[in-house]
Amino acid sequence: MGLWVSKLLSLFGDKEARILVLGLDNAGKTTILYRLHVGEVVQTIPTIGFNVETVTYKNIKFQVWDLGGQTSIRPYWRCYYPNTQAIIYVVDSCDVDRLPTSRDEFAAILEEEELREAAILVYANKQDLPGALSDAQVAEGLGLTSIKSRDWSIFKTSAIKGEGLFEGLDWLSNTLKTKRR
Amino acid sequence: MADAKYFSTTKKGEIHELKLELNAVDKSKKKDAVKKVIAAMTVGKDVSPLFPDVINQMQTDDMELKKLVYLYLINYAKTQPDLAIMAVNTFVKDSQDPNPLIRALAVRTMGCIRVDKITEYLCDPLHRCLKDEDPYVRKTAAVCVAKLYDISAELVEDRGFLDMLKDLLGDANPMVVANAVAALSEIQELGGKPVLDLTLGTVSKLLRALNECTEWGQVFILDSVVNYMPADAKDAEAVVERVLPRLQHANAAVVLSAIKVILRNIQYIGDESVRTALLRKLAPPLVTLLGSEPELQYVALRNISIIIQAQPSVLANDVKVFFCKYNDPSYVKMEKLDIMMRLVNERNIDQVLLEFKEYATEVDVDFVRKAVRAIGFCAISIQSAAERCINVLLELIQTKVNYVVQESIIVIKDIFRRYPNRYESIIGTLCDSLESLDEPEAKASMVWIIGEYSERIDNADELLEQFLETFPEETAAVQLALMTATVKLFLKKPMEKPQQLIQLVLTYATQETDNPDLRDRAYIYWRLLSTDPEAAKDVVLAEKPTISGAQDSTDPALLEELLRELGTLASVYHKPAASFVSKMRLAVHRADDLAAAAVRGSQNGEPEMTSVVVVEASQAGSAPTAIAAPAAMPDLLGDLLDVRAPAGAMSAAPDLPVVFGEDKGKGVVLRAALTHAADAYILQMSVCNLSMDVPIEGPLLIQFNRNALGLAPASQSVSLDAVLPGATAVVCVPLVQRQELVAPDQGQVLQVALKFPRADVGVLYFASPIASNVHL
Repeated sequence: MGLWVSKLLSLFGDKEARILVLGLDNAGKTTILYRLHVGEVVQTIPTIGFNVETVTYKNIKFQVWDLGGQTSIRPYWRCYYPNTQAIIYVVDSCDVDRLPTSRDEFAAILEEEELREAAILVYANKQDLPGALSDAQVAEGLGLTSIKSRDWSIFKTSAIKGEGLFEGLDWLSNTLKTKRR
Repeated sequence: MADAKYFSTTKKGEIHELKLELNAVDKSKKKDAVKKVIAAMTVGKDVSPLFPDVINQMQTDDMELKKLVYLYLINYAKTQPDLAIMAVNTFVKDSQDPNPLIRALAVRTMGCIRVDKITEYLCDPLHRCLKDEDPYVRKTAAVCVAKLYDISAELVEDRGFLDMLKDLLGDANPMVVANAVAALSEIQELGGKPVLDLTLGTVSKLLRALNECTEWGQVFILDSVVNYMPADAKDAEAVVERVLPRLQHANAAVVLSAIKVILRNIQYIGDESVRTALLRKLAPPLVTLLGSEPELQYVALRNISIIIQAQPSVLANDVKVFFCKYNDPSYVKMEKLDIMMRLVNERNIDQVLLEFKEYATEVDVDFVRKAVRAIGFCAISIQSAAERCINVLLELIQTKVNYVVQESIIVIKDIFRRYPNRYESIIGTLCDSLESLDEPEAKASMVWIIGEYSERIDNADELLEQFLETFPEETAAVQLALMTATVKLFLKKPMEKPQQLIQLVLTYATQETDNPDLRDRAYIYWRLLSTDPEAAKDVVLAEKPTISGAQDSTDPALLEELLRELGTLASVYHKPAASFVSKMRLAVHRADDLAAAAVRGSQNGEPEMTSVVVVEASQAGSAPTAIAAPAAMPDLLGDLLDVRAPAGAMSAAPDLPVVFGEDKGKGVVLRAALTHAADAYILQMSVCNLSMDVPIEGPLLIQFNRNALGLAPASQSVSLDAVLPGATAVVCVPLVQRQELVAPDQGQVLQVALKFPRADVGVLYFASPIASNVHL
């Protein structure tokens, strides 16, 4: 009997979804992680390494890995690719200068064999700041529009104000549910 | 083609299975997997490929799992220095954890990870932990600073960790104080420069913590207090007063360290009666140490030997304590014997002599020999007891035990030298055991006695003749003794028989032997005897100075140093720590470098010919074997400039001999010569770049083989401005002389290895002759 119940539960998505939060340094990845996890803005320092937290949203447990975005750490992102269901790619919408760099990193992620099945959620972050690019501009800059074969979506977010994050997560949970079926 | 499969990575095997388990969803399964990894690691399997997977388990609330991951990290961070950076953030987080145990664990693990790339990131957490509210975290962080210093001294200095450590000396928690002191002493040792400034204020802070901290903490504190120099007798007394209770401690290390501090401060106490009273208090704890197991006893005895050489009065009345028990191990007995010899005096000689006699009848040959020597020592050093000692020796000879007899004869020879013309009556007894002598030293002694007293021995010529039968086979020492004895015999009894003997010996020694000593002495005797027998008499039979009976004692400077090292390995070896601890030697080098850098800095950035300068660091005193370099700072600069002038003038350096030629195909020609200027040796080198397009750049690393002069480069690194293709640069490498590097057998040549940063040049080896005019 007990066995039955647990099997049923896992069928209904008790399993944790493994999600990576990637993006250049200073994009706001750690702030987003803790906004999702504890619901408030925490003071962060550059992440040399990673943070991992479990976020429960709409009955889905997300195991969210926030990896440091420094140039020196980016090569090790690939250690985290296996078994990943989704990528949250965070872009600093105000950092126009480094948008091309961000695009290159993003393109490299899309190329990865191990992430072929992963859903892609892009946060155009820091919308609260003046001079932020719109989501369409960011999508353009990243070359999102040319992606045909994958599930992706882009959201305007402000981690500081908490805007747009959960909308993105809604999309993600729906996408993952359909995928699992 | 078919073999390609062997090279494809298998998705099987233990590592792969563990990897899968580590990435499992189930928490307990993951933990089990980490345990399996640690188990594999412990038995020596290489599980480093799992590094990223294990590191990912680091952020967890499970303390046990965290500890396991940390353990893994300490072991493998070195093999995966790049990936180790992924752990940094977790350390930063853990060092802010609400649980002090986790904070301390994080900071301790950080200290154990010796990866350059990440040390810098760990400074902030360390900084925080040094100011933590929890003493456990602070004390762990203090030790971590010392570890960090070993990896990167500059970082510790730049980040102000030294000052923070010094602040911790005044911490309210005694364990923090003890660890801060331990860390500072370690840093002092590593860096070779004083960081721990001991004032009365600091010392009293330290001593205040003394009573409450653990035994090893007490040792740390005492060991650093020993470096305190009291300003006056009052300060010294105050220190001693507070350290005295430590003498009752059960831990031998605490006791020895306490004694060390007391002995040091006692020198500053002027009042004789106070001093005597204090010294008397040292005896009981030392005696107590002898009640422990043999290994500890041995250490205690070695330390006691140092203590009584410095302060003989401490145990003057306790010689009985050192009497050997029948079941003492041999190494303890030997040490006890040594100490008894140091403590023996006119009052206790009878007791001691009785003991020695007893020992001389035991079965352990080495011990027996030493006992016999000890009796001889007593005879020589205590005049009033000489006769008693000789009687004992005669009794021992009667036993006819071969090695006892031989040893006795050796010491009796010394007794004869000490008290000439007093005990010759026993010669008869000695001659009875002539046949049993088979050891060179005993034979030589006996021959010496026969020669010296040949006028009183009726059959001296016969006895010598017996020995001479085997003359060619004897060792050099016996041969020399025989020759001298024969000459003496001849001079004292110029008769037919001795004349024959002397013919025989001198002929053999001048014609047959290869030994130059023997031959030369034979020639001298021959010449003396043939020119003027009276003069020969004056020379050969001259009155000899009487010998004194001092036991070989330690050199005062070394003794002084060993007193500061009581309770450490140095006090057991009776050698300065620098002679066997390689790190300290390094530290001396490093101190040189630092001082050299300082000198360089003061030169207003002039382009440099001379890259490194010999400096006698102020700490060289703590390592007396090192550095024979002279010169105070200003002189040094003078030297430096002296050297530079000629070096700069001859930019092509045409007159240096080529030591590494074009024919070696490295694209480099080296010329070098050893010179000296202003009391220091210098290796002048010119580096010529033959290549068409690539410059040669510094710094070069230089190393010498052991050589006849004991020369070594003052610094391993030699800076060199880029040498453009076709150009030549001149470098002067200042050298130091180190006694411990002297190797007379290496001939008059200096073998040098020079490593260039450019990989295609690599390491070049060459030899430069040491010209005879170069000796200082």
